[in-house]
Amino acid sequence: MLHVEGVVKSFDDFKAVNGANLVVGRGEIVAVIGPNGAGKTTLFNLITGQLQRDQGKILFKGEDISALPPYEICHRGIARSFQIVNIFPRLTVFENVQVAVLSQQKRSHDLFSPAQSIAVEKTQSILESIGLAGKGKNIAGSLSHGDQKILEIAIALGNEPELLILDEPTAGMSPEETAATMELIQCLARTRGLTILFCEHDMEIVFSISQSIMVMHQGRTLIQEKPEAVRQNKEVQEAYLGGE
Amino acid sequence: MFKGIVCAKSFQLAVALFILLLLLPPFVPRFYVYILALIYVTSLLAMSLNLLVGHGGMFQFHHAVFYGVGAYTVALMLTKTRMPVWVGFLAGPIAAMFAGLVIGWFCVRLTRLYFGMLQISLGSLVWAIVFRWYRFTGGDDGIHGVPMPPLLSSLNRSYYFILIILALSLMLLYLILKSPFGSTLQAIRDNPDRCAAVGINVRRHQLLAIVVATFFAGIAGVLFVVLERSVFPDLLFWVLSLEIFIMCLLGGWFTFAGPVLGAAITVALRTFVGIYTEYWTLILGVILILLIFFLPEGVMGYLLEILKPRAKEAAGRRE
Amino acid sequence: MGVSYGAADLISQFLVGISRSMILFIVCAGLSFVLGVLRVPNIAHGSLYMIGAFATFSLSKVFAGSYGFWFALILAPLLVVLISLVAERALFCHLYQREHLMLLLFTFALSLIFGDLVKLVWGAEYRSVAAPDLLKGSVSMLGSSFPRYNLFLIFIGLGVATALWVFVNKTKIGKISRAAAVDREMVGMLGINVSWVFAAAFVIGCYLAGLGGALVAPTVSITLGMDHTLIIEAFLIVTIGGLGNMWGALVGSLIFGVTHSLGVLILPQFAIIFPYAAVVIVLLLRPKGLLKSVW
Repeated sequence: MLHVEGVVKSFDDFKAVNGANLVVGRGEIVAVIGPNGAGKTTLFNLITGQLQRDQGKILFKGEDISALPPYEICHRGIARSFQIVNIFPRLTVFENVQVAVLSQQKRSHDLFSPAQSIAVEKTQSILESIGLAGKGKNIAGSLSHGDQKILEIAIALGNEPELLILDEPTAGMSPEETAATMELIQCLARTRGLTILFCEHDMEIVFSISQSIMVMHQGRTLIQEKPEAVRQNKEVQEAYLGGE
Repeated sequence: MFKGIVCAKSFQLAVALFILLLLLPPFVPRFYVYILALIYVTSLLAMSLNLLVGHGGMFQFHHAVFYGVGAYTVALMLTKTRMPVWVGFLAGPIAAMFAGLVIGWFCVRLTRLYFGMLQISLGSLVWAIVFRWYRFTGGDDGIHGVPMPPLLSSLNRSYYFILIILALSLMLLYLILKSPFGSTLQAIRDNPDRCAAVGINVRRHQLLAIVVATFFAGIAGVLFVVLERSVFPDLLFWVLSLEIFIMCLLGGWFTFAGPVLGAAITVALRTFVGIYTEYWTLILGVILILLIFFLPEGVMGYLLEILKPRAKEAAGRRE
Repeated sequence: MGVSYGAADLISQFLVGISRSMILFIVCAGLSFVLGVLRVPNIAHGSLYMIGAFATFSLSKVFAGSYGFWFALILAPLLVVLISLVAERALFCHLYQREHLMLLLFTFALSLIFGDLVKLVWGAEYRSVAAPDLLKGSVSMLGSSFPRYNLFLIFIGLGVATALWVFVNKTKIGKISRAAAVDREMVGMLGINVSWVFAAAFVIGCYLAGLGGALVAPTVSITLGMDHTLIIEAFLIVTIGGLGNMWGALVGSLIFGVTHSLGVLILPQFAIIFPYAAVVIVLLLRPKGLLKSVW
């Protein structure tokens, strides 16, 4: 479904991504791991169009999306959540998700119909499925950090994506919140038939739910394999553990 | 259309206020009727700016240009052509909207401060042309004695007309803010990158917002001519642009009607302070500094803050 | 428009343009410097320029005689510095943590207050300052006569440019200011008091505004409203030069001054349109300015 081939991205002289390859099949849950600075977030930014690659190709469902702006990529079926909470702080929780749903339904430009009666069911059902239904009228900026991270994901769901990219979805969460969030993600993947690409630092999670893991180091893809194969790979152990 | 999106109490209050203001002219001195009408015109201008600044988060630094374009268009049409009056009245907002489209198209390619600076430069060019083109626009003198139809012959009649148009415009603006367009615009204000990631073409949306806002600015320009029967280059000057900015800040730019309050306070103060001293600008500057330090959410924002906990308490007691 | 101009007229007008550019450059370098370090366009910059001009008028009267102007040239900018330092330490510095829009609105408030203060102190009449004896009259150059004062302006402009270059690249404060422009947090972490850096940058910028006002005093009628005209021109110049880039301010000023002078030659009534149009053209082609901005 998603093919990333030989992508390179430099900032002045610094090569943030230097030969990244990734394959995500439909319906899979794929993780990208690597030490800090390996280029994971940069890679995600390249896929979703926040950055433009210098070299390489990014194909989604057979179409080259490398040069498209973010909003076009979203319309192709990719949605994403961000590492640092990236919500609409002054809007209510309901409105946060609704903006995405309205965009999906191509109704963002409607000038004269009242927003509060459009796409209500859709938005409510998303809020229910992630457990924020009771907080719909709260101002998003006032939520706890954990709730804001979940709202991140909810907004992405508003786009009815085929591929959902999650950038460190459990960063800063307590162990209970983390477990709950990961269960939620798996449940969503099942019920909505989503393909999921995510990156995480918590190795337990990564190894327990992914079907395929891509390891990055200094901007390069080391390998992409099933979890067991990755666990036993020598290069990976060196990169992470400094060669033991 | 309105049912359900305005809370009944606010709507009733607004209607009551409207009727009160409508009935006012026979009972108050002429001077106050004039000041109120001026407040209405300025309120509409400030509301149109706030669509972009408070709700859209854009650095619309030279909004007065569109106001001036609207005013000059109707003045020119009514003095230099024999077109019927209503054509002139329509031409004002349309010309302003067109100017908004052109200038906006160049500005939305940039962000934040650059957006503002480019707008100041393009707007100043328009001002410079109007200021110098004596033959066409009257240059420094402006255009005076713009003829109005018999329907608007007296101050009171102009007052009614202006008030009604203001009320209609405010209703439209309210609908627009509560529409999907409005929600998306506010989302863009809060987080434009996230909006892009959610599939919104931010530039196009901002341009659409500019077109809407400048249309209303053009209406305000037409209303100005109805009231004053003249135009002058100061209507397009950057100082006025920043003054309207201050009105939005003063009133509270994250609220709906804040700019109206800001405009009312500013015009009223300017008029009454002006009776005692010619240093109104100094006082405006001091007010602005006080605002920045003590009331950044504006007067209305502050009032809402005070009233909110009390409302919550009352609700809590009821439960 | 059937008048034909000789090459001498063209060159002479071109040089007039350059000398006018020098004043613009001095003022805009100050504006750009503050913009670069504090990230805020100082709207009060025009008012300080105006205060510099009016102060030059008063000071040159106090020190009557042919040395009056020179005293004023030195003291007027210092007066402006004093005023801006008071404003900065009393009020401005408390806003450094706030959003930039608030800082910008604060500088607008200052410009309103300063504008009226000038009216209060000096009244609404036009004032004028005579050039010092040394610089009166013209010099014949390249086939036509060229005012000595304008020549003086060109030299001063080059002098200021050199001094600024030395300051920014060779002195400690200059280098720290440059660093603060790019990354203020880093500078803070190096143990340097960022607030003082801002104060220094602000004061230097305001000094240049005052100096520009003092220099322009003998060449124009000093009026209320000078601040408004100047701040727009300065904004536009700084924008086309590249925000925060002092060499951009030089380039922008030259473009502005020269196009204005040529405009005077071609279409005197619409002369001011020429520089504005030039600005618009530059911004349409290079929206972020001609030279790299500090941001």
